[in-house]
Amino acid sequence: MKGIAHFLTGVTAASFFPWSIEQALDGNPVYFVLGGAFGLLPDTIDFKFYRFFYPHDVYIEPVPSDSHPQPIADRIAEAMATALREQRVIRVKLGTIRLGADRWRQYRLRFDAERREVQVQFGPTVTTGQMPIPGTTPSTPLVARAPLPAPVIQTYDAETTVDILDGPTFGLEPESGERIVLHFLPWHRNWSHSLLVGAFFAALAVLAGAWRAGMVIFVAYAGHLLEDQLGFMGSNLFFPLTRRRFPGAHMMRSGDTLPNFLTVWTCCLLIFWNLYRRTPDPLVSIGFFKFLFYAGVLPLLIMLVIRRLTRRGAPRPPERVDTSKEWSDPLIS
Amino acid sequence: MNTALMAASALAGTVMSSVISLLPALHIYNLLGGLVLLLYGLQDTGFTIPPGIYLPFMTGLIVGWSMLNTIPSILLGAPDESAMFTVMPGQKLLMQGRGFEAVMVTAVGGLAGVFLLVGIFAPLAPRVLPLVRQVLTPHLHWVLWVVITYILISEWPKGGHWGPAGWRKFLDAWRSLGAGLLTFTLSSLLGFLLLYRSPVRVESAFQNILPAFVGLFAVPWCLFNLLSASEIPRQYVAVSIEVEADRILWGTVAGGLGGGFAAFFPIITGGVGGLLAGHATAQRDERVFLLSQGVSKLVYYAGAFLMFFVPGLRLRRGGAAWMLHSLYLPQSAGDYLMILGAMALAGGVSFLMTPALARWTIRFMERANYRIASAVALLIAVILVGILTGAAGLFIMAVATGIGSLPVLFGSRRLNCLGLLLVPMACNLSGFGPRVAGLLGLLR
Repeated sequence: MKGIAHFLTGVTAASFFPWSIEQALDGNPVYFVLGGAFGLLPDTIDFKFYRFFYPHDVYIEPVPSDSHPQPIADRIAEAMATALREQRVIRVKLGTIRLGADRWRQYRLRFDAERREVQVQFGPTVTTGQMPIPGTTPSTPLVARAPLPAPVIQTYDAETTVDILDGPTFGLEPESGERIVLHFLPWHRNWSHSLLVGAFFAALAVLAGAWRAGMVIFVAYAGHLLEDQLGFMGSNLFFPLTRRRFPGAHMMRSGDTLPNFLTVWTCCLLIFWNLYRRTPDPLVSIGFFKFLFYAGVLPLLIMLVIRRLTRRGAPRPPERVDTSKEWSDPLIS
Repeated sequence: MNTALMAASALAGTVMSSVISLLPALHIYNLLGGLVLLLYGLQDTGFTIPPGIYLPFMTGLIVGWSMLNTIPSILLGAPDESAMFTVMPGQKLLMQGRGFEAVMVTAVGGLAGVFLLVGIFAPLAPRVLPLVRQVLTPHLHWVLWVVITYILISEWPKGGHWGPAGWRKFLDAWRSLGAGLLTFTLSSLLGFLLLYRSPVRVESAFQNILPAFVGLFAVPWCLFNLLSASEIPRQYVAVSIEVEADRILWGTVAGGLGGGFAAFFPIITGGVGGLLAGHATAQRDERVFLLSQGVSKLVYYAGAFLMFFVPGLRLRRGGAAWMLHSLYLPQSAGDYLMILGAMALAGGVSFLMTPALARWTIRFMERANYRIASAVALLIAVILVGILTGAAGLFIMAVATGIGSLPVLFGSRRLNCLGLLLVPMACNLSGFGPRVAGLLGLLR
């Protein structure tokens, strides 16, 4: 999920605690602020702090003058061989190819488990908004292939697109001495995305004598992790008891418009409802389900019908999955 | 009142807005302030202009400005190479020779915003908004604090992409974030100063915030255009634009929510509405993003004005409603319908004017030296501030320019400058504004 959805989930969580609203009515906004801040904290830790200290064993930094992606494929296969040989996790960082102020060369990386090879293909030149520049797609696909030294187990998508600003990281973990487990972005959704870490922050608040704040912190933090668990990557939910991420439910992608928008809207409705039920003598009396129907379900249905009508007659090809939304900067950050 | 006269008045406002919107630093609220003073002056002389004339005229001004101000924002603001990552997609398209397309996509958003207000918001507002106001009014202060928190923590690092892990990478990444936090802090302090001990003379107190806003947002833009050696590429005037209908739908919904949120809550500006709209759609597509910004801006300005006329609500939000309320209070649902009609007319006409004005601006850009144009824009801004607020205003503008230059220099969010309004007002709404002002030594 995007930051705004996590943030609002935290604020919504705070609105369910009666003391948040009581204090807010007395001019103290602290519980709502805590809810929002801790709702976003797991990603804040990863994207603003941890990623910059996360060490890599191999940096693959293609240069703009490279006319073929073969060196990229070769170095990935080489890193995998090293992981197998040395029986340790090798962290590989892939760099982006910057061609100009607002120009990047896109390339795609695919681990083909069946053929036991890694494939790298140069794509078009794109803008920082990830829009391809017309006429820059290579006329004959430049695909590089390199054989992998062992079977691979993928925990995320088989294909990764690298284009703007920052590139992804892979953790190559040898398992049982004969195969490699691929961990996509090993620095993300790891220890920071643990329920126990959330409980730790809450415990700090409780120790400071603010148990109410502790409850808001924990629920907001846990809300973030549960939302992320609906996606593909999953989270390391019980660090330090567990070391690997639990697989996600594969119900959505973090950058998908509809789930993000629905989450934001649902949060707005729930916050409003929590404030409404504590309003003395409201101008209109309405029950929860009726409210949810008129303010949530009905508008959504209308929107979906309009969307369907506007798409009729012009079926679109399925959109390419853009994994870069998992680690790269948003359009407006 | 004659309907044709009302329509003519709305049209006159729209046409006038096309001139105003092309002048840098002159905000529509400055003009509306002058208009209200003029109407008062005429009343004193015994000559009264009926509301059926000036209300549609004001509506035309607001709707037209919200739509047409996009043209100078996109076409006359060109970044140099180092600033390419931090400017909005509109400027990026400009540097690709697609400024006309960017203007038109944003205008489509504006038109969708008019449809949203007139076709969907208007019938629902009298039933829904009074309850919303009743429920949310005691909670405005914490909503402001939550927005402040989101602005501060949702900015992600723009550097630290290359090199080995460690402090060097971290500090490179935090350069822009640190500048953003510094901008926000300094803007907030300036806001407290202007609110509690403004050096602007009392007669100009109405324009107290103008020099700060011009310094924070307009002057750095002009200065960096002057200093940078950016060349605007030849602009391609597209015959048609392609945006899929369902993307218009998402952009409209997100922009409507962002703009509506900003219009309803005090102090939350259209910029914040635009930020929320962009984040809520989770879009990377530049055209959808621009479209949502067009919707958000129109809904923010026109929606705030419209809420003043909603029967049973009469909510004063935004500068236009605040200035108008001392002159006129809506009488009936007839006023509401008149404003809606004026909005629909002004929205349609200003949309139709957009391509012609954009082409005209492009022709001007091709003929005039871009640096000279920026210098003229800067001169107009300085003269306006000098006339309206005097030497003290110019001093505030200079200080604000220093603060407003930080985001441009370090690639952080310009929205951080809104600490100027957000922090002092949030402190006041929470009841501890005077205490903070006292701690800052502003109450001695």
